[in-house]
This record gives sequence, C-alpha cells and structure tokens, in this order.
Amino acid sequence: MSCDKGSTPEHPATLPPGSPLKFRMRMASDPRLLRVVRSTVSELAAVWGFEGEQCRRITLAVDEALSNIIRHAYKNRCDREIDLNCQAHSDCLEFSFVDHGEAADPSKFCAQPLSELAPGGRGTHIIRQIMDEVCYERLPEGNLLRLKKYLPGVRSKA
Amino acid sequence: MTGSYARAKKAPMKTATREQLGTTIIDVTGDIDIATSPDLRRTLLESLKKTPRLVVNMREVRYVDSSGIASLVEVLREARSTKKRLVLYGLNATVHDVLQLTRLTKVFEIRETEEEALQA
Repeated sequence: MSCDKGSTPEHPATLPPGSPLKFRMRMASDPRLLRVVRSTVSELAAVWGFEGEQCRRITLAVDEALSNIIRHAYKNRCDREIDLNCQAHSDCLEFSFVDHGEAADPSKFCAQPLSELAPGGRGTHIIRQIMDEVCYERLPEGNLLRLKKYLPGVRSKA
Repeated sequence: MTGSYARAKKAPMKTATREQLGTTIIDVTGDIDIATSPDLRRTLLESLKKTPRLVVNMREVRYVDSSGIASLVEVLREARSTKKRLVLYGLNATVHDVLQLTRLTKVFEIRETEEEALQA
C-alpha cells in the first residue's frame, strides 16, 4: 500500500538528525481508556502534519489495533497491560503495540476479501486500508504490532 | 464489568427512543466503540422486535469503530431476515468514512435528515 495523497510534506517540527520524537503510553486493557488514547493520537497526528481526514483515520487505525488486543489477545480482560509507543520520524508516524496476551493469527493481518455482512474481520481490514505498513511479530513474552503511516507525499518504503 | 458503576463510567454513548408515524427512532449520542457497542446492539435489537421500521439518528455520534459497525450489520441482518427496515441518518464525515472503508455505504439505507429517513 502506498501513500500518494497530498503533496510535498511541510514538516512542522525540526528534529535533530537521528532523534525521532517519542511518545509512550502504558495503559490497562480497559476499553474505557480508548477515548483517551484517541484524543492523544489525533493530536499527535495533527502536530506531525497530517490533516483532518488523515488524523481521523490514523486515530481509527490505532483504536482498532488496541481493540483487537483487548478482545483477542486479552479476551476482554480489563486489567492487563498494553504498551503503546509512538515515534514521529522525519517521514512518518510509527506506532508499536506490545501486549502479553495470546498470540494473534498472522493470517488475520493479511489482506482478505471483506465479506459484506460477515460479523467480524473489519478491524484488521480498516488498519490495512489506512496504514502504509503493518507488521506483526510474536515475541517470547507476547505480541508486537507495528504500524507506519507516511506523511503526505512520501512514498511508502514497503 | 457489571453494575451501575460500570455503566455510569462507560457512559460516553447514550440512546433515547421515540415513536413517530409508526416508526421507532433511536437517537444515539456519543462514541460507539468496544466499550459501548454491546449496549447499542442490545438496544437496537430489542427495538427492532417491536417495530416494522427502525430509524437510527446518528447526528450526535462523533465516532464509530468496527465493533459499532458490526453491531449495525447484525441489526441489519436481523431486519432483513424478519422483513423489516433499518434506516440510518445524520452520519457525520467520520462515521461515513468508516462505512466507506468497510464498503458498507451501499449496504445500509442512509439518509441525510430525519424527514428523509421517515419517508424512506
């Protein structure tokens, strides 16, 4: 998937070379906290130069990733931990999610045809539609999901 | 999470029910996500049992995720299987965008206003 919307990025921040801006959250796997994360991610995307619709979509993708962790990795338990790391690079925003729950099915992260009235499967579809890179890795102690969104006008390296 | 404390704490979504011209209208307010979509699903399915046509007012819905979409899809399936109608109206750009991403804009009956929804 490539990101070909918009024009040359106008970078709002000046970063020392090799020093991506980092933002880290450790949250309980409680769905009530999703609103808080959505507000934060939306602001972060805006600060980093994404415009309205893209901010909303990035927020949606992050929200869907967290929802998947809560529902599938933690089976709706509200008292587990999720680490969300956001890094603003010169050309993209990168989000990584670490949980200590059950392994995800990697095939669910592959592009699958979306069945019109199927009960589920839309969350990962939405993530893949929005983000330029989606990478899942099973760790010894849990799961790592990385999502990247390139700034408008920057081609995906995927 | 059970009990009134849990319900109060996850209150960003609310529903209210009205009747008009033989149609049940559900006014939905707030965010629909995995914290709130089970309540929405229950409310809509219960209401659908009692009416031939269910209209969902989404003017005050500022956010919906895939679990909210799944709830709406389930209600739509139930409506179709019982030969009833489900109409949505007042979708903002965010909600409309999620339906587009999930390729459902042509699947649901979507109207701009309540008047149009009632005439659908």
